[in-house]
Amino acid sequence: MVIEIKNTFDGIGEFVLFIFRFFKELFKPPLELREFVKQCYVIGYKSLPLVAITGFIMGLVLTLQSRPTLAEFGAESWLPGMVALSLIREIAPVITALICAGKVSSGIGAELGSMKVTEQIDAMEVSAINPFKYLVVTRILASTLMIPLLVVFADGIGILGGFVGYNIHSELNIVRYNSLVFETLGFVDIFPATIKTFFFGFFIGTIGCFMGFTASNGTESVGKAANSAVVYASLAIFIIDMLAVQLTDLIF
Amino acid sequence: MENKSPIIEIKGLYKSFGKDKDVLKGVNIHVKKGENLVILGKSGSGKSITIKCLVRLVEADRGEIKVFGTDLSKLDNDELNVIRLRIGFLFQNGALYDSMTVRENLGFPLQRHRAEFTESQVNLAIEETLESVGLSEAIDKMPSELSGGMRKRVGLARTLILKPEILLYDEPTTGLDTITSREISELIISIQKKYKTTSIIITHDMACAKFTSNRIVILRDGLVYTEGTYETLEKSEDEWVRSFFI
Amino acid sequence: MKKDVGFRWKLGMFVTAGILFFAVTIYFVGKQKNLFGSTFHLKSHFKTVSGLKIGNNVRFSGINIGTVDAIEMISDTSVMVDLIIEKSAQPFIKTDAKVGISSDGLMGEKVLVISPGTFTFKSVKDNDILTSKNAIEMEDLMLSMKKSIDNVALISDNLAQFSYKVNNGDGALSKMISDEQFSSTLQSTLVNLQNSSNEFAKFTESMNSGKGALSKLVTDEKFGKTLDSTMMNLKTGTKGLNETIDAAQNSILLKGYFKKKEKAAKQIEIKKANALKKKNTTIIKSDSTKRLLTPKDSIQ
Ligand SMILES: Nc1ncnc2c1ncn2[C@@H]1O[C@H](COP(=O)(O)OP(=O)(O)O)[C@@H](O)[C@H]1O
Ligand SMILES: [Mg+2]
Repeated sequence: MVIEIKNTFDGIGEFVLFIFRFFKELFKPPLELREFVKQCYVIGYKSLPLVAITGFIMGLVLTLQSRPTLAEFGAESWLPGMVALSLIREIAPVITALICAGKVSSGIGAELGSMKVTEQIDAMEVSAINPFKYLVVTRILASTLMIPLLVVFADGIGILGGFVGYNIHSELNIVRYNSLVFETLGFVDIFPATIKTFFFGFFIGTIGCFMGFTASNGTESVGKAANSAVVYASLAIFIIDMLAVQLTDLIF
Repeated sequence: MENKSPIIEIKGLYKSFGKDKDVLKGVNIHVKKGENLVILGKSGSGKSITIKCLVRLVEADRGEIKVFGTDLSKLDNDELNVIRLRIGFLFQNGALYDSMTVRENLGFPLQRHRAEFTESQVNLAIEETLESVGLSEAIDKMPSELSGGMRKRVGLARTLILKPEILLYDEPTTGLDTITSREISELIISIQKKYKTTSIIITHDMACAKFTSNRIVILRDGLVYTEGTYETLEKSEDEWVRSFFI
Repeated sequence: MKKDVGFRWKLGMFVTAGILFFAVTIYFVGKQKNLFGSTFHLKSHFKTVSGLKIGNNVRFSGINIGTVDAIEMISDTSVMVDLIIEKSAQPFIKTDAKVGISSDGLMGEKVLVISPGTFTFKSVKDNDILTSKNAIEMEDLMLSMKKSIDNVALISDNLAQFSYKVNNGDGALSKMISDEQFSSTLQSTLVNLQNSSNEFAKFTESMNSGKGALSKLVTDEKFGKTLDSTMMNLKTGTKGLNETIDAAQNSILLKGYFKKKEKAAKQIEIKKANALKKKNTTIIKSDSTKRLLTPKDSIQ
């Protein structure tokens, strides 16, 4: 029991050191630009279809689910604004981040884990290529920058889904729908949510890399790395979200 | 050859994982320039750990390691990398980068450490090195399309491309059929002649050991149990030592 | 390494589209909040702003043309509201336009409404101050409501008293409503009245058609003429009498008698005048005391 607790803290400590190492290596030139661009492509562009589909469905479902309650008050015209607000503030960031925890974080965990197990990381190290810079820094950076972008897409497509959902029961043209959405939105809704997504991206990348990079030798550790990457990344997303809400409450 | 000073010196190397897991308990190994040293030992006796300590992939707990006359433990990262570039390490399964083609695998270290090379020079070096391991036709394949023997050859080519002075082989023939094993063993010798390298070869394959070794070291319980040429050890009075040669 | 080019354009497209989309969103939200685009300021002073907040919409002819930029207390009875308005609305807002605060629906936010000025006035300039219409405060509404409720209470009170008196009092109305004896008396009176009026009717009828003296007096023309000439004779008779008295006054024999009579008449007249003077002064005195006692009245 005591050993378990100690091991948990040991893991957390190792993770914190890992983050420190990331920042240390980040500012040491040169940046592995080519690998960074490639990772941006893999993490960003390749995740777009998945994120788009979930975003669309979230917008649609949210509209259909909220409609009866609002219709009771005769406040159906609030529906677009309300849906956009919940999408931008909460649902799109969190759902996109969770999807990316499943896709990106576990992908990185499995990839780096298998590289570790098959000694590819050692091979890099031995040929005087810094594997941390090449593999970890590029992936964390790409994830930190691409997840917010994906969330922007999820926001947009989600609102579009909301439009489709609204038009199932009543009619409204897209221009009026848009103005209803934008009338509701303020910078308070956009900026904290956007800042939050950078943290989501950072931790999705970092946890995936950490799990893969520190995987022990042996084939089963690859699966373990991928699995714990998803679990801890999802947990981190909820914790960040909670902290972000409290912080936003405090400031605005 | 015999009179030259050792290019690799390992003195009193200790390494343990955790409290009760002492893997190395004072290993002493010397390798002279141009020598082919074979390390034998049971699985888990710490052979791989020993050669990983030579490139500081694993940090030794105690002991002195000198390569090219420099004490490794006193080097910072950049100085260490200079030494590392003069050592080639062939991993157990080749450790090819899965996401890259064979060409990219070979080009990767070049692009890092031979930045002054033009594109044609890079291509020439890649083709030349692949030819020396006999795999010219695999240049645009992905590692997943290659057989075990081919992977090892590509891995070898990748280490050779930077023209190292020392080559470390970790079980180069394990998992291969006898014919391929034989080919790899011949390759090790031909490379040694071509590039004038010093080698440490870890193996369980006695045919390979016989073919490649100038000298053999046997590890047991974290210590060098005995050493000698293939012929002397084969006729050893120690039954445990002789059991390797059956 | 040349293979990289294959995905690079997709990545470029992805990043560009994402950033562009974000930028457009920011732009539209900003436009909604009047952070971008050309704008100008207007000011207005209010006694109270009824919970108006920074960022509330400003409406002109029902169109959102800006937002509340700042709300500042100037004194204990004056609040200055700074408005940020779209430039495009400037020509339509005249200098005599008025600013009022109202609510956007029952549950809605407060909005500032600029009611259009007169066509002949000039358009407003940057930082102009517009006059404000005081908002109808809920409190005011309540106050006036209370007044009318008080009045209603008073009226109903009186009504209650009145009806109580009617029911239980001894007044004529009360008797009329509640006393049976009274009503029967009233009835007999009315019957008598009817009888007498019947009699009167008969009387006037007989007078109009009859031959009695009264009837003649009213109806006969000949009689009237005779009466006229009699009166004429009477007039000339008194005239003659006057002349005789004048002649008698002027005659020497009767002079002394008439002088005595004149003196006595004069004395009586002087006495009367004195008495009148005394009365007047007392009236003036009482007036001035009245004024001193009620100075307010004199001011009013
Ligand atoms: N990272 C590690 N953590 C814990 N134990 C390890 C680690 N690496 C190696 N070992 C242990 O050290 C011993 C020697 O390993 P190794 O040198 O790979 O054996 P071999 O001689 O078969 O190559 C093994 O028992 C292995 O379990
Ligand atoms: Mg081994």
